[in-house]
Amino acid sequence: MKTSGRDLARKVRSIGESREFEARSGELPTWCPGCGYFGIHHGMNDCIRRLGIPLHKVVTVSGIGCAGRYPFFTKTYGLHTVHGRAVPVATGVKLGNPELTVYAVGGDGDGLAIGGGHLPHVCRRDVDINYVLFDNSIYGLTKGQPSPSSPMGMKSKASPRGTSDKPINATLLALSYGASFVARLFAGDKKMIADVLLEGTKHKGFALFHIYSPCVTFDKSYKTWENLKKWVHPLPETHDPTNLRQAFDQVLEDDWSVGVIYRRPQRE
Amino acid sequence: MARVDLTIEVCGMAGDGTIAAGGLLNEAMSAGGFSVLGFDSYPAEIRGFGRCVTRSRIGTERIFALEDKTNVLISLDDVQSRSRVPYLARDAAVFFDSNPPVYVEEEMSLAARVEPETTLFGFPMADLAAAAAGTTRGRNLTALGGFAATFGVPRDLFVEVITKKFKAKGNKVLDANIKSFDAGYAYGLEHFRDRLRDTLKPLPGIKKGPEKVMLSGNLAIGRGAIDAGLKLYFGYPITPATPIMEYLAAKLPERGGRVVQMEDEISSIGAVLGGFYAGARSMTATSGPGFALMTELITHGVMAEIPAVILNAQRGGPSTGLPTKTEQSDLHAAVFGGPGDSPRIVIAPSDVEECYRYTVLSFQLAEKYQTPVIVLTDFYLDNRVENLPIPQATEREIADANEYPDESVQGAYKRYLMTDSGISPRSIPGMEGFTFSATGLEHVEKGTPNYTEENHMNMTEKRHRKIAGALEDLPAPVEYSRGGPLDVGVIGWGSTFGAILEAVNIANERGLNVGALKITSIFPFHGGVIRAFMNRCSEVLIPELNYEGQLANLIDHLHRKDVVRLSRATGSPIPPSLILKEIETLVPAGAS
Repeated sequence: MKTSGRDLARKVRSIGESREFEARSGELPTWCPGCGYFGIHHGMNDCIRRLGIPLHKVVTVSGIGCAGRYPFFTKTYGLHTVHGRAVPVATGVKLGNPELTVYAVGGDGDGLAIGGGHLPHVCRRDVDINYVLFDNSIYGLTKGQPSPSSPMGMKSKASPRGTSDKPINATLLALSYGASFVARLFAGDKKMIADVLLEGTKHKGFALFHIYSPCVTFDKSYKTWENLKKWVHPLPETHDPTNLRQAFDQVLEDDWSVGVIYRRPQRE
Repeated sequence: MARVDLTIEVCGMAGDGTIAAGGLLNEAMSAGGFSVLGFDSYPAEIRGFGRCVTRSRIGTERIFALEDKTNVLISLDDVQSRSRVPYLARDAAVFFDSNPPVYVEEEMSLAARVEPETTLFGFPMADLAAAAAGTTRGRNLTALGGFAATFGVPRDLFVEVITKKFKAKGNKVLDANIKSFDAGYAYGLEHFRDRLRDTLKPLPGIKKGPEKVMLSGNLAIGRGAIDAGLKLYFGYPITPATPIMEYLAAKLPERGGRVVQMEDEISSIGAVLGGFYAGARSMTATSGPGFALMTELITHGVMAEIPAVILNAQRGGPSTGLPTKTEQSDLHAAVFGGPGDSPRIVIAPSDVEECYRYTVLSFQLAEKYQTPVIVLTDFYLDNRVENLPIPQATEREIADANEYPDESVQGAYKRYLMTDSGISPRSIPGMEGFTFSATGLEHVEKGTPNYTEENHMNMTEKRHRKIAGALEDLPAPVEYSRGGPLDVGVIGWGSTFGAILEAVNIANERGLNVGALKITSIFPFHGGVIRAFMNRCSEVLIPELNYEGQLANLIDHLHRKDVVRLSRATGSPIPPSLILKEIETLVPAGAS
């Protein structure tokens, strides 16, 4: 069905009135058409709107990579840092002014390879920041090299015979390091992203949102939209996110269940 | 009273209480009104049975540097002290334990090794301490007692500082320590009083000036940071910067600040940038190896125009190098380290008072010029103690130096606005109507990434213009000379400058015509002032504690001929006598 110009104008106006994209800046995202990151962007905007705090009291800190560009696409204060360092910089921002709501965003290369050394410490320090890890298992901005979460055997220009390294699981790492809020999400479920981000942002302490997303340009075989839609499913209804042992069991047994994996009961 | 200038050493094995004795000696002499400069040397290994030496220079005039010859040696261990014999002045006085806890063969003893001109003051320190206090633990104080009585230092001066040090440990400990001191003091009064050579002046204390405080460079930096309103300190343990973190960990929380020990130096500088971005004065302190890790994020501060204060307490390098030795070899790294055209501010204090003053200044510089400011010290400056009038920054020196955007641009704010000064008003998260994204990518005025030729050229020029403009707020070079043409001009920076000044003063007393120029602003630097000084000098000498002559490399081109480099990479402070010798070889024969 073709959309007429008048319909499009009406749609744009209705979106504007809905305040759905309130947190979006005028900058057009630089991501490829069809990228999973649009869904994450949507979910984050929705979360920030529903949080009800003014945009100038939110700071989005990022590293380098496709996800690193995120701050330019929001109207919050933004800080686009260097490769792998979003988390420590975000720590400084939060301690610098605890009244700010602080998001760190970045990809799997940024957060699990070059910046992987910071994850244990932000978890044990339990600073009240929210880390949104965009995990598409590939280095997109450098054109398709394998990342720490790529499956063994993944072929690319940098690994023509297939990678020989085992992938790491960010959700399992965060649980092991003692993170106080751990969620796993899917870029294709914007509603769940917004809901869980909202819950995790309100959580006092460090929150990790590990989001599976496809790279439509460089990954044609592993985390494709088709595969992810087939593999990803909600956590079982019986899952108790306050039970750490159950959280470990769940993550060890099932790579593709999404929702709030673990939430440490809050001290009042 | 007569001019006094004595270098006193306490030497013992780790565990003898050597460093404690040296500290008490410094405090007592400071309380007696003398100028004091002290420097300890100890092994990198905590329990390596290594040698501990404290060296203190005590004088009636201001002390600028350590002397290389020792006038008084107080030995707590013969074996360790024997190695100090070559450093003794010809007429030195040596105090030693005549019945030490560890037996020493007579021919191996310290007494058998010294020159015949040395005056020996042997007495049974351990026995006296045990008899007086029931334990030999206070033997180091018994040694001080013997020294004090011999040199006519009033007992009260020592009792006062011993009380200050030990009163928190309870009356029993305090009493034992005072008794140990008194045992040595009484022995000295009875046996040593009249044996002091004429060349060694007594130290009865002089008229007191303003109240003084004994500070190391590191403590002065910590105090300066707190007085400047430091809110956040992020750091990672590294010699010789760690005492700053430990001092702040004890003091900052009561001022509403926080100290966070991070997982490495990269996260430390990252969090400092984050803290300053959010409007909180933040700093980190490190040494060469940690500084190398920070360089990428320092250039991020340059590009994104975020303030930061980074203290680099230099030590011997490269790599792990000489962790407990001193060197001035990170100048190149501080000025040039990191990717791209990345101008930043680098300043180098040259004494303990300047450590305080320029730490305070660094926060305003960082805010006003929205840039990382690197303060360069070194092991010798960080760990030496000096007594100085209690430093106190003024309200003006600690005031907020940020330039915030005007309300009129609310909603149309350009974070990287092109201005004549290169300084663009900076908003802080929480300010309504001024949101922006800071970025390490090249960007246009609004902050969005942009890679066009003209924009990169303009923005690069803006950042350089801004830092060049900082010169007006940076400490200018200070000249010490009679003025006019000079046979030799000695230029120096950092901890070396004290030795330079002393050498130049002696040279001028000997009738030579030489001058000294102290450079504090390493980058940007006052090229015009430095050039004008150099052009008045027949020879320019630049002594530095590095092999390459790093300051000389930076300013050599300002001179019409090559500068003479006195480059020393030994890990030890440069003694004034070495500089003096070099000056004397440079002065043309017959000149005066």
